[in-house]
Amino acid sequence: MPTADVRANVLIDTPLLEKLERLAIHWQKSLPGLVGGHNTSHFSGAGQEFLDHRNFHHGDDLRSVNWRAYLRLDKLFMKMFQLEPRVPVRILVDISQSMTTGGTTGGPTKFDYARKLAGALAYIGLVRLDSICLQPFGERLGDPLTLSGGRHRVQPALNYLSALQPGGKTHFLQTARDFISRYPQRGLVVVISDFLDDADAEKPIQYLADFGHEIILIQVWAEEDREPPWEGEMDLEDAETGSRLQLAFDEESRAKYVEAFDRYAQHVRQVALRNGGRYAGLPTSLPVEDALFGELVKMGAIE
Amino acid sequence: MDFLNLSFGELAALAGLASAVIIALYLMERSKRRQVVATLRFWSAGKTPEELQHKRRIHQPWSLLLQLLSVLLLLAAIAEPFIGGRKAARDHVLILDTSAWMGARTRQGTLLDQAKTAALAYLDAVPASDLVMLVRADALATPVTQFEANHTIVANAIRKSQPSTSALNLEQALEFAQRSQQLQQRTRGEIVFAGAGRVSREDAELIDPPANLRLLSVPSTGENVGIRKLALRRTAIPKEPNGEASWEVFAGLHNDGTMPREVSLELQFAGSPIGAKTRTLAAGADTQDTFVFHARTGGLVEARIRSTNGRADAFPQDDRAAIDVPIQKKLRVTVYSNEPDLLKPLLGNQEYLDTTFAVPANYKAQGESDIVILDRFSPTQAPAVPSIWIEPPAGSPFQVRGNKNNIKLERWRAESPLAAGLIAKDFTLASTEVFALTSGDQSVAETAGGPVIIARQVPVKMVAFGFDPLRSAMKYDLATPLLMANTLRWMTPDVFRRAETIAGTVGTVTVPIEKGADRASIRILDEKQRALPFTIDGEQLRFFSGAPGKVRVIVGERETTYALNLPDVGDVAWAASPRVARGVPRFTTSSSPPTVWPWLALLGAVGLFADWLLFGRKRMVRVKARAAASQPLSWRKAS
Repeated sequence: MPTADVRANVLIDTPLLEKLERLAIHWQKSLPGLVGGHNTSHFSGAGQEFLDHRNFHHGDDLRSVNWRAYLRLDKLFMKMFQLEPRVPVRILVDISQSMTTGGTTGGPTKFDYARKLAGALAYIGLVRLDSICLQPFGERLGDPLTLSGGRHRVQPALNYLSALQPGGKTHFLQTARDFISRYPQRGLVVVISDFLDDADAEKPIQYLADFGHEIILIQVWAEEDREPPWEGEMDLEDAETGSRLQLAFDEESRAKYVEAFDRYAQHVRQVALRNGGRYAGLPTSLPVEDALFGELVKMGAIE
Repeated sequence: MDFLNLSFGELAALAGLASAVIIALYLMERSKRRQVVATLRFWSAGKTPEELQHKRRIHQPWSLLLQLLSVLLLLAAIAEPFIGGRKAARDHVLILDTSAWMGARTRQGTLLDQAKTAALAYLDAVPASDLVMLVRADALATPVTQFEANHTIVANAIRKSQPSTSALNLEQALEFAQRSQQLQQRTRGEIVFAGAGRVSREDAELIDPPANLRLLSVPSTGENVGIRKLALRRTAIPKEPNGEASWEVFAGLHNDGTMPREVSLELQFAGSPIGAKTRTLAAGADTQDTFVFHARTGGLVEARIRSTNGRADAFPQDDRAAIDVPIQKKLRVTVYSNEPDLLKPLLGNQEYLDTTFAVPANYKAQGESDIVILDRFSPTQAPAVPSIWIEPPAGSPFQVRGNKNNIKLERWRAESPLAAGLIAKDFTLASTEVFALTSGDQSVAETAGGPVIIARQVPVKMVAFGFDPLRSAMKYDLATPLLMANTLRWMTPDVFRRAETIAGTVGTVTVPIEKGADRASIRILDEKQRALPFTIDGEQLRFFSGAPGKVRVIVGERETTYALNLPDVGDVAWAASPRVARGVPRFTTSSSPPTVWPWLALLGAVGLFADWLLFGRKRMVRVKARAAASQPLSWRKAS
């Protein structure tokens, strides 16, 4: 059960919610299905795909009557079309154990930061009548929460995010497979994670892109993830695997570490760009509000 | 080298503790740190511990050494070391004469003002490193400060000193100063006496000046005649018909000066003159005068002296003395009798008695009387005050063995205070009750059949007469009023106590004890009715009172009130031997050893600053660099 403190950390205050109402999730691709009123689609509206005929009943919409068949057979038949679902915005939130690190330098943990960010994006989407799916993941996909119908549905989303518990490892490849099999309809996929899987995240992202999803990668890191402040001999423990590493860390090592981290972040970014997606790297020291109105607007995820 | 604030052991302990803390912090900073991280993939850039083994030992050793050295220097500065050692500093005791005589006036103010000036001059001359203790000396030697290095405190204490009302006990003050120096177990300095040194003639011969004594003498040549004694006593003369009592006043004068003086002694009672005499006193001479006056009520007797030959008196504090005339208290007696006329000749119209007669029907157990007499009457509730029962009927607190007729009174019990002076016997009592003695009862008079007068002390004093003396053969005998007087005196001794008032001086008071006085009954009470300690040496009783006030001395039936409000001045100025050093000295030794603590503190601060410059600043730069590097990455918008 999440504690009251955890809930308090995740909840977004009212002034920020009011500011978020000015924003909207921006699509780059045109996907089949209904999207929020602010987006335009190259596909025609719902019910364009013919499905079957049925007999006319009193009270049916005369606009759907197949008049040609009436002229030929002198009977009223109704044309039935396949209903197009709304194109969902799926927000994947990393809840692996590695997301709990980063609170030692005084800021929020990556997990809290990611939940706040997901809550804010969900609200932005709901305001614009998008269909929002909050999907936690670690080794596998967790139970999702799908919402639509306007801003008044934000509270269940925030409650859901508050109740999330971190734990387990990150397995992007397995998560991507599960995602593709669970959600056949293409849509916008926002991945909020530290992307610190021991295996490379390139292939899973490639899978999602190849399947036709529009991808937005938001990499969250703590200050100590990017530039460890410690010095001297260290006994390190991996938060997810528990494996240990003893080493001596100094200025020279720190410089190499930062270089390696930046190189990896650049790699993730390139994977996103290569697949027509977008990327943002956010340190937890950056307030969520600044991240939304700064980095995410700048990258075009929201506008 | 010695340390002012810390002993060497304390300094070493503190230095060890500070070094241990610094080294512990140093090692903690370099100890292996356990840390949970999000991933280990980027940490491959770190070096293995084996690579840095050498660094663990030699990592910034100069920083550690510099910090240790700086802290040690700061600790040494706190200890305030003196080069040359503390043995150069000495302990001086400054005795300031604050006896009553120091209030004597001179052209330059009082003698105490001159003594203060001399003491302050000495204090200025004392080396700053020397410690000085101030002792105020009068009848007692009172230390005002401890051995102080801060001479300002001593100077302030000197300025605040005031003359007391007692005489100087110089011998005691010098002994106290010597003991104080011995207890310090350091280099002894001087014992300095500043004052007139006026002591009693006996004390002057006993003073043995210590070798390190220095005198800051104040001339004590003022001319003074003062009242040395003022005593008040009731005369044996009976009261005047108008109720006035007769009192004797004794006034003793003494000339402390070196020239004959003619003075006028004037006495007043309640503001009215009661006598005056003019006396010429030779130098050092005493005189005593007696005055008699009559007074009906209490009041204040005041004695004043004034010079008649125009010579100023240097010490006016002893030119006036006053004592109270005590109010004679009457004994309130209530007699419950159906035949009061029988008792009226015995109890009515008496000087010390205030007698009320009442019938038994009006009996009150809680009356305002001091004594109750119950004539052939036994109330249901016994009186709460002492009582005399005449022929107590059944129901009284006394156990009556039986009645006897025509029986002789054979014996008075001499051990009983009620039978004091009673020798008359062989009375034939026509009818009398014979008592049975119970626990606590004492027989006073006995017949062959048993006791006929008994006394009881608890719970309140009670006396029972088995017969009515005024209806018996004793009626016309002297024994009857004497027996009644003895009974009343035994029951309320305070009323019949002989009172005397003496104005005296504070300090040790000597009271002569009459022969045969009950020494177990001696009590000495101050104004707050607290018992004062006293000693008895032969026929002399001595007690000490350091402050002005009244002290009651009760010895048996005699009570003397001492109004200790006369200043006590010594008889002679003590003349020290020529060997004793005099005047303010000029100290030649280097009084101020160089203080090194500021330099030590400066060096310590410089060391810490150098450490920060050489090592700490780099750490600060690294921290700032990290903070700058933690800004968000700015990526180009994906397109």
